[in-house]
Amino acid sequence: MSMTQLPPGFKITRESNTEEFFVNMGPQHPSTHGALRLALRMDGETIIELVPHFGYIHRGMEKQAESMTYLQYIAMSDRQDYLTAIQNNLGVALALEKGMNIGVPERQEYIRVMLCELGRIASHLVFFGCFGGDLGGQTCLLFGFKEREMIHDILEEVTGSRLTTNFFRPGGSRFDVPENFIPRVKSFLDHMEDSMKDYERFLSKNIIVQERSIGIGILSKEDAIAYGCSGPVLRASGIDFDVRKNNPYSIYSQLEFDVPTARNGDCYDRYNVRIAEIHESMRILRQCVGKFPAEGPWRSKEKPVKLAAGRYYSEIETAKGLYGTYVVAAAGDKPYRIHTRGPSFPHIAALNKMVQGHTVSDLVTIMATLDPVIPEIDR
Amino acid sequence: MGIINFAPKILDPVPGGKYVVNAIDYVVNWARANSIWPLTYGTSCCAIEMMSSSMARYDIARFGSEVFRASPRQADLFIIAGTITRRMAPALQMLWEQMPGPKYVLAMGACTISGGPFIYDNYSVVRGAQNLIPVDVFVPGCPPRPEALFHGLLTLREKILKETCRDPWHEGDTKDVAFMDRYREAAKAWAELEKIKDEEMAEARAKFKEENPDYKSAFKPVRVVKENFPEIAREATPSRGLSQSEMFAKLQAKFPSATVPASGEDTVEAVIQNMAADAPLEVTIDANDYLSAVEFVKNDASFSMDYLIDVTAIDYEDHFELITMLRSMQHGHKLFFCTPLKKNADIPEEKRATALLAKVPTVSHLYPAAEVKEREVYDMFGIEFTGHQDLRRIFLDKDFVGYPLRKDFTNPDMIKRPV
Repeated sequence: MSMTQLPPGFKITRESNTEEFFVNMGPQHPSTHGALRLALRMDGETIIELVPHFGYIHRGMEKQAESMTYLQYIAMSDRQDYLTAIQNNLGVALALEKGMNIGVPERQEYIRVMLCELGRIASHLVFFGCFGGDLGGQTCLLFGFKEREMIHDILEEVTGSRLTTNFFRPGGSRFDVPENFIPRVKSFLDHMEDSMKDYERFLSKNIIVQERSIGIGILSKEDAIAYGCSGPVLRASGIDFDVRKNNPYSIYSQLEFDVPTARNGDCYDRYNVRIAEIHESMRILRQCVGKFPAEGPWRSKEKPVKLAAGRYYSEIETAKGLYGTYVVAAAGDKPYRIHTRGPSFPHIAALNKMVQGHTVSDLVTIMATLDPVIPEIDR
Repeated sequence: MGIINFAPKILDPVPGGKYVVNAIDYVVNWARANSIWPLTYGTSCCAIEMMSSSMARYDIARFGSEVFRASPRQADLFIIAGTITRRMAPALQMLWEQMPGPKYVLAMGACTISGGPFIYDNYSVVRGAQNLIPVDVFVPGCPPRPEALFHGLLTLREKILKETCRDPWHEGDTKDVAFMDRYREAAKAWAELEKIKDEEMAEARAKFKEENPDYKSAFKPVRVVKENFPEIAREATPSRGLSQSEMFAKLQAKFPSATVPASGEDTVEAVIQNMAADAPLEVTIDANDYLSAVEFVKNDASFSMDYLIDVTAIDYEDHFELITMLRSMQHGHKLFFCTPLKKNADIPEEKRATALLAKVPTVSHLYPAAEVKEREVYDMFGIEFTGHQDLRRIFLDKDFVGYPLRKDFTNPDMIKRPV
């Protein structure tokens, strides 16, 4: 059937003997990972084309930022990608530090790296749970959240909050870490080492997972770059790009870690890259535990948060990918404009490329391995 | 439960019958209160805490609510976990209408109570779920801890246990007045109350001063010992690929209009020299050269800017500035094109708010990533991208009036942030 006029967004023109139909997924659907609506054009069970509809959780943060002070905006960054809130804080703080020309002491650098790596593990554990859950194994959720709670205990003890941390400030952080921070991280790492064996036995070698994810949702190297993908999604397509290595911020240049990559760019690769990243994060944490300076200042001398007029850009590697903060500073303590470049937005834009020719059940697998957070897209 | 609701009419007049009605109530409420099945509805941060509460550590199953249903037709409880936007509101109301009665609503988090952090200067967030559907329990927090959610659940349980078939559960109304503004009403009432209080207190204060003219407060603030922190300068991180001056020289040879904004006595060279090593080179380029410049840096072997980080814009008084952020995956250098776009002055004053004020060629055929980013700029600033395949609003409804990130944007629903 050839349609005279397709709904907005659909582009492919094709002749077919079978009847095409449209399926609406979302905005409230358990496996769209938030308020995202996907319009699917189907031929039988095969997806011909997919059009994402954003904006169901558009909260106008960038407009609000114009009347906020810089410090108030750090609290906003928590609510963009709430799974990696602590890393988003760092992204904003780094941009502000450039504008204030203020650095941080060594102890603070270690606090930053350690909390960010804990946040990365926590985010990947949610991925692990949701990936398993979306494939039908609800037990994975219970597994993933078990260790995640341990990380949240540490985060709560340090920052005072489980999820929306609002912790890093230009030149330091809100508080110093408590005395038992290092022992707790140590005991968490020991525990996590054992659990990882369980995790891998549970999903990596599971025949159902392999059957449903190998060869599904392939994103080629060229497409991954062209669509602006980043993070594990880009690395699973075979590109060795990690902001921590390529544009090292904080003290990542002094730490030893590898950037796991894969070759095929399918769902199984994206899963494996994330699991390998948990191992790498633990490696970084082990080094930090050894090197953590017991003495010394934890923040720089306090300065009013006022930026010299100009434009400042910082980028960091969150668990999802490249998180960029672009600050246009006017004189005073309020920004003229703040723009955030979130990693999930390009991933969903590239989704159409990945799902074509697959079934709806594969779409669920692909969505899970992209690990998007919708409020970060809509902002 | 239709038949049970008739039981009091028949049984209450009969001697001893009311004990039977009480017994029916007891059994029905016991069943209802101990298996409240929630609907899986989460839009943002609170959804993660809702998930946490159903996991092993917190274990919502202790309260009989572990069965999260994906379909509203099987759910008893609507946990609104996350911010509700105007675009989401109709979907939320429809979900509530699809749930069978008796149904309960638990508003989780500050956003669903008042709008939370999104009260001021906001054009898209609904300030509280009670403006859309009747809410039984509010749980404050941003986000609330799982324990707080359980407290909400137990409060709801108490409410259910008090129900009786003499006055059966009935459906509250969805609010026919969409988005009524309780926040402003409450703020007004509060201000009036404060004023009355202040007037009452003024008399007492004057009296106290008259009676005790020499009174001095015994309170002395205790100063916490301040730790001395050193001042630490920022360490520049190294950059890779071409240096900023190399990039700029190459660009200017090709495009004479390319400049780096320099102010006062600084020369362009001095500005580039003073740039931090890891700062991206921001080149201002004429709008006519924009497309060819992007094409050039993409295809030139020494630049090879193959990765588009982002496209965004800034609104100044008489022009927009389009920022196109590019990076080279191969070399690692970053280049931002800043393209000033003059606002179209021909458009009359009263139509400016809803009109597209500037035009620029699209780069989405060079970078597929730009497709959605340019739609975002179109949606937020009202800049037209000529040649774009699918230029629609992306975050806002197609009938939304105005372009929110313009500095002169006004919306009747926006509340100005108090200074």
